[in-house]
Amino acid sequence: MGKEAAKTGPLAHRPDNSAFMQQRLPAWSPMLTTSTVLPFMYCMAVLCLVVGVSLLITVQGTQEMKLDYTEAGTCNNCFQFLKNVSNAGKSCGCQVVFTLEHEFKGDVFFYYGLQNFHQNLRKYMDSRDDAQMVGRMQNLKNPSSYCEPYIWDEKDVPIAPCGAVANSMFNDSFALQYQVQPGGPINTVPLYRKGIAWYTDENVKFRNPPRNKSQTLAQVFEGTASPPYWQKPVYLLDPLDATNNGFINEDLIVWMREAAFPNFKKLYGVLVRTQEPFTNGLPAGNYSIDIVYNFPVQYFKGRKQVVLSTVTWFGGQNRFLPIAYLVTSGLVFIIAIFLTVIWWKFGKDAKNMNE
Amino acid sequence: MDNISGEFALVISGHSLAHALEADMEAELLMTACACKAVICCRVTPMQKALVVELIKKHKKAVTLAIGDGANDVSMIKSAHIGVGISGQEGIQAVLASDYSFAQFRFLQRLLLVHGRWSYLRMCRFLCYFFYKNFAFTMVHFWFGFFCGFSAQTVYDQYFITLYNILYTSLPVLAMGIFDQDVPDRRSLEYPKLYEPGQLNLLFNKREFFICISQGIYTSLVLFFVPYAVLSNASQDTAEPLADYQTFAVTTATALVIVVSVQIALDTGYWTIINHVFVWGSLGLFFSIMLAMHSQTLFSSSPNQFHFVGSAQSTLLQPVVWLTIALATVICIVPVLAFRFLKLDLKPQLSDTVRYTQLVRQKKRKAVCFSGGAGVRGAAGSTSEGRLGARGGSRRSGYAFAHQEGFGELITSGKNMRLSSLALASFASRHSSSWIDTLRKKKHSHTPTPPGAASGDSSPAPSCVSGSAAPPLSNSPSVLGGSQDAAIEEEEARTPPPSPLQAKPGSSTSHARPPSTTLLAASESTQGPSTGGGPGDTAPSAQGESGGWTLSLGAVQEALSNWRSLGVRSSSPGPPSL
Repeated sequence: MGKEAAKTGPLAHRPDNSAFMQQRLPAWSPMLTTSTVLPFMYCMAVLCLVVGVSLLITVQGTQEMKLDYTEAGTCNNCFQFLKNVSNAGKSCGCQVVFTLEHEFKGDVFFYYGLQNFHQNLRKYMDSRDDAQMVGRMQNLKNPSSYCEPYIWDEKDVPIAPCGAVANSMFNDSFALQYQVQPGGPINTVPLYRKGIAWYTDENVKFRNPPRNKSQTLAQVFEGTASPPYWQKPVYLLDPLDATNNGFINEDLIVWMREAAFPNFKKLYGVLVRTQEPFTNGLPAGNYSIDIVYNFPVQYFKGRKQVVLSTVTWFGGQNRFLPIAYLVTSGLVFIIAIFLTVIWWKFGKDAKNMNE
Repeated sequence: MDNISGEFALVISGHSLAHALEADMEAELLMTACACKAVICCRVTPMQKALVVELIKKHKKAVTLAIGDGANDVSMIKSAHIGVGISGQEGIQAVLASDYSFAQFRFLQRLLLVHGRWSYLRMCRFLCYFFYKNFAFTMVHFWFGFFCGFSAQTVYDQYFITLYNILYTSLPVLAMGIFDQDVPDRRSLEYPKLYEPGQLNLLFNKREFFICISQGIYTSLVLFFVPYAVLSNASQDTAEPLADYQTFAVTTATALVIVVSVQIALDTGYWTIINHVFVWGSLGLFFSIMLAMHSQTLFSSSPNQFHFVGSAQSTLLQPVVWLTIALATVICIVPVLAFRFLKLDLKPQLSDTVRYTQLVRQKKRKAVCFSGGAGVRGAAGSTSEGRLGARGGSRRSGYAFAHQEGFGELITSGKNMRLSSLALASFASRHSSSWIDTLRKKKHSHTPTPPGAASGDSSPAPSCVSGSAAPPLSNSPSVLGGSQDAAIEEEEARTPPPSPLQAKPGSSTSHARPPSTTLLAASESTQGPSTGGGPGDTAPSAQGESGGWTLSLGAVQEALSNWRSLGVRSSSPGPPSL
């Protein structure tokens, strides 16, 4: 009221004559004219073409080999063996063979793949406890309720790691072997089983619970139980490398990073290129994989596979993107031609005439 | 009634209106009134004003606007769809009851043609964009349902879902809804035809709504399937597969925000500095908040809440991800661009044409480098002048009559008129003396000679006139430009010739004479000098038998022009002696 009383007279209620209040702000009023849109379309088409072609050339430099081993080779026996539910906890060994036509030059990466395994189900994705996996003691002994029903085992001992995601961990193991000639010596292909997870995962998101100098990892995990589907406890996941045990086991970390789609692949190992004959990659020839076939997939009609791949700056062999760019470039070009024709025939002077 | 040629106006007084608004007559009144170019209801009560407005509202599919300045206009203002109050002479009653108020009647033009039009435009663009961005955002979950077993897993991080509509996309559309202008205000006033889309509901109707929705669905299709197709087989340059959920979430969220930002950039037609700040600022806000949420600090505070740690950094450093986002943007935006360009090229609306000419003018101005004021004004459309072009003609519509107290009584007192009936005579005698005294006093302040003896045997007012209903044409000084005395003269000049009941042609015609002689005629009616004959003889005044006068506008016009011409000619245009 005081403010109004201060201004008196006939012009008391006049609004401000500022540019903002009177909607006179300086502004740019763009318009879609022919001289902006058509060149833009043509440029876009050319750009997409260039990107598509360069990506296609890059992708041509990668190589990939996929092998479905659900029922292949002797793994068929394991497949039948695991059909019996009572055999679910038992492991079974098998072997598959394949041939590489061409050498895989450069770094080669070994993946395992699953089909029709929905790691993106809502309740499944919620069933984990990240606070426990980061090593907090109170969560170690008291897992989050989201991990239902994998929180306590039948003896009411807390499960570490809790939840359905950890419980369903992929536990097949692979040993790749190379045979230079049939009947010749068999080389084991060395695979480095670390460095397969994200940097932040390995160093920030997954940490073992703190332990004193005198404690072993097993002692730290005392008072907890392993998830029901696991054959080994969490502190014995990697018998070969003592630092790769506990929550920081890289296979566990890789598995805990849920895939977005039902068909996915996850990194298993990296080729070690320090020794012959693998210094330049994987040479052409016959290969076999010795598989410890643990993970049953027939219950959800899934498939298992192994993938070998090389990478470039663009990633692995991903043909969709270059082809999509080329197709988009073609479509944009067609649209641009169409617009040009229409403009030429009908729209050329219409606007001026309208005025 | 629809094919009436010519322009008509209806003048109806409160008494007639009272009969015309009865249930059996109102349809008739509505039909007649809507066939006229202008309707003047004079001497109506506030209630009747509201009833007229409601009549139109009830039967016509039109939006009504009522404008008034006094307390008697409040009910009319309240009953119309839009009530406008004029603050000023008559106080602020009307202002308090109105939706809009301003100080002068002429501001109504700006209210409608500039602000009303802009408001409609902004609202429609805002709505269209709002539906589009929310459909693009939400339908991605529908497509994802096919791949996640319909388990209602969200595609995005929960914090993104919360902040999308609050922070990342609200500010640009708010700026568009506040500042957008398709055509500058001067052009809006120049081309009133620009107001038509608002009246015809062209900018947001069912068709436009479905177009918005389908654009949203198309965008959601692209935003889901392009990242899906790329990422399910892609890997980082470190060979980490990119098919994990968090990478997909970040990619899709980034693509979504970028696409809807480009879309608002296409939609905004008037880029003030605020628009720039909001659009680019929202994008920047998105990236900074996402990087903050995916940081290690927040993760260490609550690991279960912020489990996206490291995703943004890991994902957004991959060229594949940016190529995917770019591809999704191109596929979403190019069709929109093509459609809009086609529409502009083949079927430009008036606003597009005006905008285009404005653009051309600006370019010319910049090119030629002289002040564009002259050019703009010279080339300005002549619609506004066109409307005033008929100034020379005698026919006009839309008068405003303001009444000054006392005229009704004069007319109905029958003082200067011939009495036709006993009733009128008694009425006249009842009222005359006091009134005449008042008038005398008033006159005294203006003229030396008081009206004097308005002889009792002046020609009668028509029998139909009743005192309270005398509708006088009283003139606001602005209409005639004369003093009140001149007005009086005019009144008496127009005292009508006798109704068919009386047959006194001689003196009656004399009363239709221009005022400078008529006053004399009025006071000495029996003498009836017919001097200064003007063309006013032919001015009849149609009197309705049933109460209230209805003078034809033509008569008014001619009398006016006659009076004016005489006023100019006579040496003493002032009030004659009464």
